[in-house]
Amino acid sequence: MFREIAITAFIITLVVLAVHCIAFPANKKRCPFGDALRRWSPVSIFRKIIHLFTLLLLEQKLSLLGVFKKLLFLLALLCFIVLAITGFYPLLVMDKHIYGYFVMVHATFAPIFAICVAILAILWARNHRFNRGDWPLLQRIIERVTLRKWFDRLTIPSGVEGLSAEEAAEKSVSIAQKITFWLIIFLSLPLILSIVSSMFPFFGTYWQEFLLAAHRWTALVFAIIAVIHLYLVIRTQLK
Amino acid sequence: MKKGLKVIGVLLYLSAAFSVTAQAGEKLLGDVSDGSRAASHHLIYLYPENQDGKKGSKIAPDAKPLLPFSTRWTCGECHSYNTISSGWHFNAVDANVPPGRPAQPWIYVDPTIATQIPLFYRPLPGTYKPEQIGLTSRRFTKLFGRHMPGGGAGELASKEPEQVVREYISGKLEINCMTCHNGNPGQDQGSVDGYAVQVVRENFRWAAAASTELAAVRGSAEFMPDTYDPFMPEPPENKRLVPPTITYKENIFEEDNKVFFDIVRKVPAERCYFCHSNLYLVEKETEKWSTDEDVHLMAGLTCVDCHRNGIGHNITRGYEGEPNVSTNPLAAISSCEGCHLGEKSSAGPEAGRLGAPVPKHPGIPPVHFEKLSCTACHSGPWPAKNTYLAKTSRAHRLGTINVNKSPDALPHIVAPVFARQRGIYKAPYYLGRPVYTVITDGKIAPHKLLWPAFWGALKDNDVKPVDLELVKQSAGKILAKEKLPLSGDWPKLTTEHITGALKALASEKSVEGKPVYIAGGKLYFLDETGKLNQEENHPAAQPYMWPIAHDVRPAAQSLGARGCGDCHSTDAPFFFGSVAVDTPIAAERQAVKEMVGFQDIDAFYAWAFAFTFVFRPWLKVIALGCCALIAVVLLLYALKALASVVKVLAERD
Repeated sequence: MFREIAITAFIITLVVLAVHCIAFPANKKRCPFGDALRRWSPVSIFRKIIHLFTLLLLEQKLSLLGVFKKLLFLLALLCFIVLAITGFYPLLVMDKHIYGYFVMVHATFAPIFAICVAILAILWARNHRFNRGDWPLLQRIIERVTLRKWFDRLTIPSGVEGLSAEEAAEKSVSIAQKITFWLIIFLSLPLILSIVSSMFPFFGTYWQEFLLAAHRWTALVFAIIAVIHLYLVIRTQLK
Repeated sequence: MKKGLKVIGVLLYLSAAFSVTAQAGEKLLGDVSDGSRAASHHLIYLYPENQDGKKGSKIAPDAKPLLPFSTRWTCGECHSYNTISSGWHFNAVDANVPPGRPAQPWIYVDPTIATQIPLFYRPLPGTYKPEQIGLTSRRFTKLFGRHMPGGGAGELASKEPEQVVREYISGKLEINCMTCHNGNPGQDQGSVDGYAVQVVRENFRWAAAASTELAAVRGSAEFMPDTYDPFMPEPPENKRLVPPTITYKENIFEEDNKVFFDIVRKVPAERCYFCHSNLYLVEKETEKWSTDEDVHLMAGLTCVDCHRNGIGHNITRGYEGEPNVSTNPLAAISSCEGCHLGEKSSAGPEAGRLGAPVPKHPGIPPVHFEKLSCTACHSGPWPAKNTYLAKTSRAHRLGTINVNKSPDALPHIVAPVFARQRGIYKAPYYLGRPVYTVITDGKIAPHKLLWPAFWGALKDNDVKPVDLELVKQSAGKILAKEKLPLSGDWPKLTTEHITGALKALASEKSVEGKPVYIAGGKLYFLDETGKLNQEENHPAAQPYMWPIAHDVRPAAQSLGARGCGDCHSTDAPFFFGSVAVDTPIAAERQAVKEMVGFQDIDAFYAWAFAFTFVFRPWLKVIALGCCALIAVVLLLYALKALASVVKVLAERD
């Protein structure tokens, strides 16, 4: 069942991101929404690819800490890709549990990724904390879901109504980036602990299976959120 | 008129057919239990087999000639003999019985012709039919009947006239019910005049009676002339010959000539041990008192608590997947999992049967249970850098007289070999050849291993063993010059011996194909120039392996009890142990193969994977350290967020 759900979830995520990418282009001024032909011309796509690739490079203007942060992010990205491929490929494509060299590569990159996530959590947490400016939008999102009346009483008049639709969209991307960041940090805990605790002789077969399932499901959610986060980061960088 | 006769004929035929069917399905007194768990009292008449092979008159102590009782007719009075004879211990010769999981073969050994070859009537790949090396069923019985409970090959009718005559004298080796079911300590399977000796003397008719405490048998049918009639015995002309004669013990006959048999339904383990003992030459000290028994026996169980059967004697062998080939309804719950884990889908709980503890396996990733059989960690001797030589009752005549106790005595069985299981064979016959359906679970299990060594003929890349007599006549003469060691080990075979023997075999017209010699995993043959060549990896040269099930070790003695390093270290015997390659060829006796080669696993992968376990503690420390850092960050910012919310709420107030 996991296989079917995971494949569906990945497809939905990618489709949603693609639709979002088309519906809300990253740089509207240069690429107006209506001018689809221009935006998706071969030259434009090639330019975007070059642009994306340059994002991986270290700019000279970066400080030493900036260089470190970027390198760390790139390393985490590399580890994430390797872990996702080695973890999901056997399961989703080959319909087998992770085995053989996949396990070895997975287990080799996993601690590096854990280190990267921990350091990024320390370095990026301050930048990704929610501030007063995020509150109205958050409030609106929460209101749509539930507890409208309770939040009515908490409304802070900082003028979300004053934002244009475009500004609201921009703002929501920023908030989404923060949410995904914190979700990544939060999910990394069960993700790591579920597999590490299974390595200790504390849990019997039932709990071993539970931990493995927990690792698998957490990894699925983690991967989807990480992809969304990556998408949002790229969007931000493209601007 | 004619029409009426036809109708009567048909009716008569149908009524006869129905009566036969009814007879076949008829249950005898002892076929179905009334439910009482108490022991049945067996005070019964003894019946011999008469000269027509039918039921003879009741045996009385003063009868002349005094004949041995026949189990077919004595026990068969109340228990359907034909039903019993379809049981696992007796049905090897039935081509319609699926062989199931590879089992221990009968091993024909003859160091004078450098031969050890696995034989089996069951169609199992890697074994050969006895007739392929020229063994008739009678000869096979004489050689191996010592460790058979009778029946099977022992009851196959001979076809050749001379064999038919001998069969009349010696009788057939009927199922010896007492081999297993005699509760009297006087049951004698292996001593001076016991069952095994009677089989060697071709006293097949007398063997079952001789094995009991009720009678003694002297003489030998083997050397009696063809004219000897055991039903009207005349003293042989040659006074040195002693005809087989039975003497019943005094006072065993009651007034009405009934005899009491101490029969037990629940067979004691010691009875099973006669044929199913294993001796691993782990240490120099191999005495019984220095080795442990199976943990199940120590817990108070007996063999038949798990290996069960009904009147059909279709005993459960107890391996995973057995229900695929067994009709025994208990097959599904008689494996390790059957008692220790139970069927998850069953209506009632089955785990814990017979007091079996449900294993926790703390810290062992579930993938182990997909890749390994239970026995991989729990059965057989603890693996060491090198495999051990093993002896078994059936291969080494353990428990019989004049056994060669030397550790080097042939056949050379090596164990434990952790190998991927070949699967379970369902082999229905098609045009006289087994057509295998292999059900494989691909699990690694400990095995015993035998490297075949024999002379064969290669034709269409298929090797068939050459008749033993032919080998002895031709190749045997060349090998006869070599001295046989007293230890029972191989003679020191050289490439010159092989070359000479192959040339001698090539000159025999009856050898169909190119003469070859199989030994140590290699196929030796002469090329066009007459030079000796060898080929590795020929299917016929591959070792025959059968899984080890016992002795089972407890959890604290199982692989992994000391941690992952028991198997996942770069020198762990489980993957990197050396499997001895046994061969008569003196120059190649030190050869070994790495254990991982039998597991269908890439050796480098196994090593690299084991190597990663060096870093496993680091991985744990790093991962836990990172988790701690992340948790601190989350906690810190969660508290900050909480502070903000509190502040907002305070401002609102």
